[in-house]
Amino acid sequence: MSENKHRVSRRQFLNYTLTGVGGFMAAGMLMPMVRFALDPILKEEAGTEMVAVAQVKDITTEPQRFDFKVKVKDAWYESEEPKSAWVYKDDKGEIVALSPVCKHLGCTVNWNGDKGNPNRFFCPCHYGLYEKDGTNVPGTPPIYPLDRYELKVKDGTLYLGKAKPRGEA
Amino acid sequence: MKWTAKDVEVYLQEKEYIDTAVIPLIPLTLEKNVKSIASMGEFVQIIVGELERQFKGRVFLLPPFTYFTSESMEEKIKRIADWTSQLTANGMKHIFYVTSDTEWKAGEASLPGTLLWLPSIPLEHMDEKYKQQIVMDQTSQLMNLLISKWS
Repeated sequence: MSENKHRVSRRQFLNYTLTGVGGFMAAGMLMPMVRFALDPILKEEAGTEMVAVAQVKDITTEPQRFDFKVKVKDAWYESEEPKSAWVYKDDKGEIVALSPVCKHLGCTVNWNGDKGNPNRFFCPCHYGLYEKDGTNVPGTPPIYPLDRYELKVKDGTLYLGKAKPRGEA
Repeated sequence: MKWTAKDVEVYLQEKEYIDTAVIPLIPLTLEKNVKSIASMGEFVQIIVGELERQFKGRVFLLPPFTYFTSESMEEKIKRIADWTSQLTANGMKHIFYVTSDTEWKAGEASLPGTLLWLPSIPLEHMDEKYKQQIVMDQTSQLMNLLISKWS
């Protein structure tokens, strides 16, 4: 009879329940341990995070200034550092994001800042000049081109990373 | 540049390019209007910080010149004149004092450098976006003043 075949003895019943409950308890203890062990791998690498800066539709062929903030950690002191970028589309339609920090002594450069030099970046401190693509104009104090930000476009938003000397970004 | 070891290192190498000193004038008191006096100082510090970021390569932002509100004007002017002569003796050509304290207006004529007075705007309850806008506006006004002094 089928009833007899499926009869569970007291010993079997206790075995099943204890294994089940024991299994849950073991899992409850092991799961956090595994999570702790994996945590450093799952964590995003600090410093490589990108910050949303602008909408791609707002970017034109004329350089525009966008301000954003990045988190910096200096020993135990965490703060938000304001940063800016000059963003435009070049002749091929590719987005270029230049760091506004003058390569001479670190002032902030402006697009079209000097009336005598249209369509150039101008540094008001020591009259440094850069072409639109960031190349330093010979004869002015800066001796390197402006840094470029690492950039990425996702869902119509422009994200910027670190500013790197040209050739690396 | 700021008064930090890292920036001073650059200053020592590039001395001839850094000819402008900015000194924030910050009043102190524990008697009356403590809060508004503190917010004055806070505002000025934020503005000069932003100014320094824009003009890092030519402007030396000095630690604030602090004084108790009870200090007499003659005494303050004597001290600030002393600061100024120390700076000019070491190659600084343009000295700017930035403050929100109206008292300095009275002593402006006897100051050896240029006084830049800003109306203090309490930023503490302000939206982050407005705050940035106001700080940018105020800073760009100061920047224009500095640029016109340079040329």
